[in-house]
Amino acid sequence: MMGEPEAFDISVVRGMKFFDPHVHMTARTTDDYQAMADAGVVALIEPAFWLGQPRTGLDSFRDYYSSLIGWERFRSSQFGIKHYCTIGLNSREANNESLAEQVMEILPLFIYKEGVVGIGEIGFDDQTAAEEKYYRAQLELAKEAGLPVQIHTPHRDKKKGTQRSMDIAIEHGLDPYSVIVDHNNEETVKEVLDRGFFAAFTIYPFTKMGNERMVEIVKQYGPERIMVNSAADWGISDPLAVPKTAALMKMRGLSNEAIELVTYRNAITAFAQSGQIDEADFNTPQNIDQSVKFEGNTILRGGQQPRTDKSSMIIS
Amino acid sequence: MMKESDVVTDNKLLLEIIKTNLTGEGLNWLEAWKASPDQLNSIGKTFVMAPRKTGKAIIQLSDSQLASLKEAGLAYIAQWSIDRLCRVWLLSNLPATDQDKLYAAINQLFLSAEMNEAVALYSALPFLAFPEIWVMRCAEGIRSNIGSVLEAIMENNPYPAQYLNESAWNQLVLKAFFTEKNINLIVGLDERANIELAITLTDYAKERWAAGRKVNPQLWRLVGKFTNEEIFEVLKTGLQHYDQVEQRAIALAVAASGYQPARDYIDTFPELKAVLNTGSLSWDQF
Repeated sequence: MMGEPEAFDISVVRGMKFFDPHVHMTARTTDDYQAMADAGVVALIEPAFWLGQPRTGLDSFRDYYSSLIGWERFRSSQFGIKHYCTIGLNSREANNESLAEQVMEILPLFIYKEGVVGIGEIGFDDQTAAEEKYYRAQLELAKEAGLPVQIHTPHRDKKKGTQRSMDIAIEHGLDPYSVIVDHNNEETVKEVLDRGFFAAFTIYPFTKMGNERMVEIVKQYGPERIMVNSAADWGISDPLAVPKTAALMKMRGLSNEAIELVTYRNAITAFAQSGQIDEADFNTPQNIDQSVKFEGNTILRGGQQPRTDKSSMIIS
Repeated sequence: MMKESDVVTDNKLLLEIIKTNLTGEGLNWLEAWKASPDQLNSIGKTFVMAPRKTGKAIIQLSDSQLASLKEAGLAYIAQWSIDRLCRVWLLSNLPATDQDKLYAAINQLFLSAEMNEAVALYSALPFLAFPEIWVMRCAEGIRSNIGSVLEAIMENNPYPAQYLNESAWNQLVLKAFFTEKNINLIVGLDERANIELAITLTDYAKERWAAGRKVNPQLWRLVGKFTNEEIFEVLKTGLQHYDQVEQRAIALAVAASGYQPARDYIDTFPELKAVLNTGSLSWDQF
């Protein structure tokens, strides 16, 4: 609906901390990191996904996984945001079977690394046989590694695809409490919650959930096992979706407890089952004086970058 | 210099520190690996999983352990976390009978190293057998943009000064200045100073001044003893900024030089002449 934009003022949630459990930071600029940090995002999870066009070789996967646990993790730390990731073979590229076989072989090299909080984002895209094969194989890997599973539910034929994803997870003996079913909507949420899974919602313009609808869902189902994310990527998306949704929830009368659960706590509960999240790493309040130097080196929050003044014509 | 006997002694010292810092389960896990028959094949998983078994606390040292570390030139280890120390110990305890196999096993770790793994790998370089085979990896690590990785190579690491050739060494020093590292912590800084580096650094100083930016006073440390007619002109420019820190650094640098015109010129600055005479200026003050 194209009307007057609602004023962008999230001061109602100033001081709250946010956790975005699904955001593709390799596709975002440092402006986004700075905006997220300013809006109160203290930690995030970046799922392994495809790059927008198909990878053609194993090394592309290996280098991508390495970048999630290396460069991107460092880049995030420059803005004081703790970066976790999930590692997996995504549903789309599972259809390249010869490549998929090779990727399955290197996954064990990555899933035991520090800060890898789950196998993800995996599941169905078109719901082909190949997608099912590698979804099942990765569920077994998750069980063996004791890692939560982050499920990408398909955008086409979502209801059936979500059901199938859950059925297969149960079939393989996974505890639904260790599985986060993502990209839910009004049609999928009830069954996901009823069957004991975590229900994640992607607040993403035009194609996925909106945050006004999200408010209604939380009002209807309560905050238990519900989390929101931005899934901000290379498309038209908003890395501030989580804090904005929190602000909207506050303005629409949801309690602080519910907001904290949905925009921070539940995501931590779910993914901390990996044993890789220590809340102390992003929970301590810090007062940062950006001009402070230590032994001639600027010391900002966790090696943070100094700020540029975006409103100025001057770059220096 | 790291002689073979040093490596053995260091290993014993590292293990002693590990034993006083690890609980039963973590220690058992490490010792089980050490006793296992197939270490080169299992190092991948073991190295990666270390923090889960050891935790990540900063190590605690007894006075005698600290003294032993200082004596071995390893005092900087006092700031390490236990997982970093254990990873270094794991790598330095791999069997060194087959150079190619050792290289393959450790190289594999570099390929998929996460941030903290990379820090441990570069920290381990001085403790590895066949030290020359890691020169390319070290030079490549210097190309990283990840701050903690650069620190692990550049600061408190004796390996680069010992094994990098001159042009790779110069890249390390230049990058340390560019990325605002703690220059004082670069091991072998004075020993490896060279004229090529001195010239590049004076060009860099001029670039900074042209941009209205300050020059790290440590820069002059690597320039002073190579002072010639051209470099002297640059030093003069610096002195005429009348910034006390800059002037004192240049004066200290010139004091190490045999170039008389520069030494005479410093004498024309009464404050500098006086402070040099007290003998109280040193590079760790800058």
